[in-house]
Amino acid sequence: MKKFEGYPFAAVVGQEKVKKALLLVLVNSRCGSLLIGGRRGTAKSVTARGAEEVVQGRRFFTLPLSITEDMLLGSLDLEQTLQKGEKAFAPGLLSRADGNILYVDDINLLRREVLAAVQTVHASGVNTVEREGLSHREEINFTLIGTMDPAEGTFPGTVLDRFGLYVETEDMADAEQRAEVIRRVLNYEREPAAFRKKYEEETSKLQLQLKKARQLLPRSEVSEAMLALTAQLCARAFCAGHRAELYLLEATKAAAALAGRTYVLPSDLEEAALFVLPHRMGKPPQAEPQEEEKEEPEPQEEKDALDRQEGPENNAEPRKEKEEEKTAPQELSPKENGEGSEQGEEKGKEEPSRAQQGPAPAEQVAAPDKKFPPLQFLLQGARSRQERRGSGKRSLTRTSLKQGRYVRAELPSAKVDDLALDATLRAAAPWQRLREPQGCSVTILKSDLRQKVREQRIGNTFLFAVDASGSMGAWERMKAVKGAVLQLLREAYQKRDRVGLLAFRRDRAEVLLPFTHSIELAQKALVRLPTGGKTPLAEGLTAALTMIARGNKAQKEQEPVLILVTDGRANAKSGATEPVAAALKAAELIKKAKIKAAVIDTERDFIKLGIAQKVAAAMGASYHPLRKLSQEGVLRIVENLEGEL
Amino acid sequence: MKRKAVYPFTAIVGQEAMKLALILNVIDPLLGGVLIKGEKGTAKSTAVRALAELLPALTAVHGCRFRCDPAVPEHFCDDCAALTAAGKPLLAEKMKMRVVELPVSATEDRVVGTLDIEHAIKHGEKKFEPGLLAEANRNILYVDEINLLDDHVVDVLLDAAAMGVNTVEREGVSYSHPARFVLVGTMNPEEGDIRPQLLDRFGLSVTVTGEHEPSQRVEVIKRRLAYEEDPDAFCRRWEKEQTELAERITTARQLLPQGKISDELLLKAAEAAIALQVDGHRADITLIKTALTVAAFEGRTQVTKEDVKRAAALVLPHRMRRLPFEEETVDWEKVKEILDA
Repeated sequence: MKKFEGYPFAAVVGQEKVKKALLLVLVNSRCGSLLIGGRRGTAKSVTARGAEEVVQGRRFFTLPLSITEDMLLGSLDLEQTLQKGEKAFAPGLLSRADGNILYVDDINLLRREVLAAVQTVHASGVNTVEREGLSHREEINFTLIGTMDPAEGTFPGTVLDRFGLYVETEDMADAEQRAEVIRRVLNYEREPAAFRKKYEEETSKLQLQLKKARQLLPRSEVSEAMLALTAQLCARAFCAGHRAELYLLEATKAAAALAGRTYVLPSDLEEAALFVLPHRMGKPPQAEPQEEEKEEPEPQEEKDALDRQEGPENNAEPRKEKEEEKTAPQELSPKENGEGSEQGEEKGKEEPSRAQQGPAPAEQVAAPDKKFPPLQFLLQGARSRQERRGSGKRSLTRTSLKQGRYVRAELPSAKVDDLALDATLRAAAPWQRLREPQGCSVTILKSDLRQKVREQRIGNTFLFAVDASGSMGAWERMKAVKGAVLQLLREAYQKRDRVGLLAFRRDRAEVLLPFTHSIELAQKALVRLPTGGKTPLAEGLTAALTMIARGNKAQKEQEPVLILVTDGRANAKSGATEPVAAALKAAELIKKAKIKAAVIDTERDFIKLGIAQKVAAAMGASYHPLRKLSQEGVLRIVENLEGEL
Repeated sequence: MKRKAVYPFTAIVGQEAMKLALILNVIDPLLGGVLIKGEKGTAKSTAVRALAELLPALTAVHGCRFRCDPAVPEHFCDDCAALTAAGKPLLAEKMKMRVVELPVSATEDRVVGTLDIEHAIKHGEKKFEPGLLAEANRNILYVDEINLLDDHVVDVLLDAAAMGVNTVEREGVSYSHPARFVLVGTMNPEEGDIRPQLLDRFGLSVTVTGEHEPSQRVEVIKRRLAYEEDPDAFCRRWEKEQTELAERITTARQLLPQGKISDELLLKAAEAAIALQVDGHRADITLIKTALTVAAFEGRTQVTKEDVKRAAALVLPHRMRRLPFEEETVDWEKVKEILDA
């Protein structure tokens, strides 16, 4: 085993919470796994990897993102099988990590199946392998530590919930402290050995503290009163299930042991709660969406929905900051837009009293409503058909081209064009004694051949067809729509989707943005989108169909999804056909083309015409009234989560 | 076939920022590489390929697949570590630092390495066949159009770049080896974005534009024509400049370890990072490291305020914290104000 030679744990400036969380899981592996979140370059990996030196006798095993399933769980041992002529088990990374620490950088980028497998084995302590003619079961106990940059996408609640502890690195705002960081990194890079020597004493102190804590832990006692307090705390945080209590209890014991005690104090509990509760805090039951429709979603509820989805950031303290972040850009945009003269003139007329007014006045530009809840569920809803039969993840697509990540091997269904050599050899190995030697040490028959299954993260193609007619401009409806689309764009950004934007108003549809990976362009086009004029719904739909058909030819691998945002009030005549009938006809063409679609209905008038709903039905699209989005959002999320378990 | 002489680095007209960024990375390979953004035909690739001629020699363990540095045992590969542990002496040899190209179409197995097919079938044993990341260890890894790289290949690059180690757990092979490379990427921003995480891994970034000065443009064409006509003769004409630059780089490499920076400048770098609200610590750390390298390139050991300013232009632009949809701009007024205070 190679000695640890990295940047010393003790030399990391600040980040006390991260260090503490690491020590807790290293003392007590029953705290559950540790997830370290934080912006790029905030010493997540350096701190976590540095901990290797503090745990003596245990090793860090790195789980690379490119891992294949056989290497994770274990597979047939090729050499053994060839030599002895009988099947032997080759331990996977999980088995090798038994009794040690398994470390994953950018764990949020790990394939969800792999993560699920790791989490299952970690939680149950058992690895069961049934593959390649092997039947193997073993008990495995390891400590799981992962890091992630939330900007690259976070986890849904249930996955998050399976992490015992969560901690975030802190941004350092003290210049002296930052200067010290630079100084230390420079010194370390120049003379690693000398630098490490300076921290030797502190390192051995930590090693001793950890060792003692691990010895104390089995004797740790928790009083009835502390148990009650633990349960109370979890109940107050509205944690679902009982995982929270168990993890909290174990983390509390670890905190006490680190302090050199076998009895726990309320302060230990408080300390542990900082890591155990934030990412699993629920919301009060009375805020659950009721059956009844409400006229306006409560702002608080909107925020809750948002927080739930944003996962790790939903703890109590950062909530404030998040709000500030959210409002800051908002202050900017109305100002910018307000300078537009058209907007200025319209200001006075933009009151709700304009409710019954017919065609809306000239053009206006609405600022996106940035508080709008994220609409992931909508995308998931739109793709549910594929999800059921496919790999289940929006961003992952099986690919038949020889590109993408090799995830596992399978029996070929036709000609083998992408040989999985490792699996083929393993398939051939047990039979070698029975086969005629052919000059090589392995004789391979056709029946041994295995094909690679590859997955590629390619994202999807989304086309936003936005109704920009005057009626949409009313009641700041456009603001909500822009807010909604902006959220979808943000989602798309993380998933590397392609997006296109098309607006229809007056007498025609206009492609504002051809399909692009540049979400920035999409956002710019969206913010500038003016509204006004009549609604040529049929033209909009036809244009969308044309655009998707053209785009799809170029990018065969990506399945397009159409998201239509309209109030359905088609009133721009094209030719002899009545506008609504023309729209329904165009909608049917979209259904025929088997394009996945979702309709967001923005109709809000007292007397509802319900045309958008009819159009949605004709298109075979899922239908979502804008006003119900936040409530429905919560429901859908819950559904999705259940589906994933 | 005789290989055509490479267009000399020093013969490239203008593009001073790009040239400086590349040279700085040769002087200090720990700077973190450079991302070159610009339209087609702005000598991006020419510059990177030309850089190969200026690369210094490095000392490596004889016969080591990863060119381990005999002087740095903490970065040894398993083989070198095993030899050392067994008390066997490691033979050193000199070799040239190289530019290793990673094509956009590269598959993951070629990048991280894979199972040696021949060995597996002939001998029934698993053996690791190193990939591009192994070749790139202690060399320059060049990715043209890095923004078009497949996501999972980017993940692998990030993994390796994070800790300087490539960990392979695939196709029956479990292996890890050192992968410390200078990452040089080029991209045309019009063809799509680069992932923020990958962006952050680049120490420096430069944006190149075509020359607008007519006389400069004429010079570009003239040199290109002369080169096409007789590459060898053209290169001979630039030999003096090339040797001079190579010597300057060598001197700078020797000066670098003695580089000094005042606490005051260190503090100012930190203040600038806070004021600009950059993510994490890479901005200020790289700013200082780059300033030290700039000083060394200028033949000095003491870093001046001007060095920091020159470094800032290369270090800050791609590190501004921004929401997915906001422009990246550096408030240069603020930077100047802080540094001059």
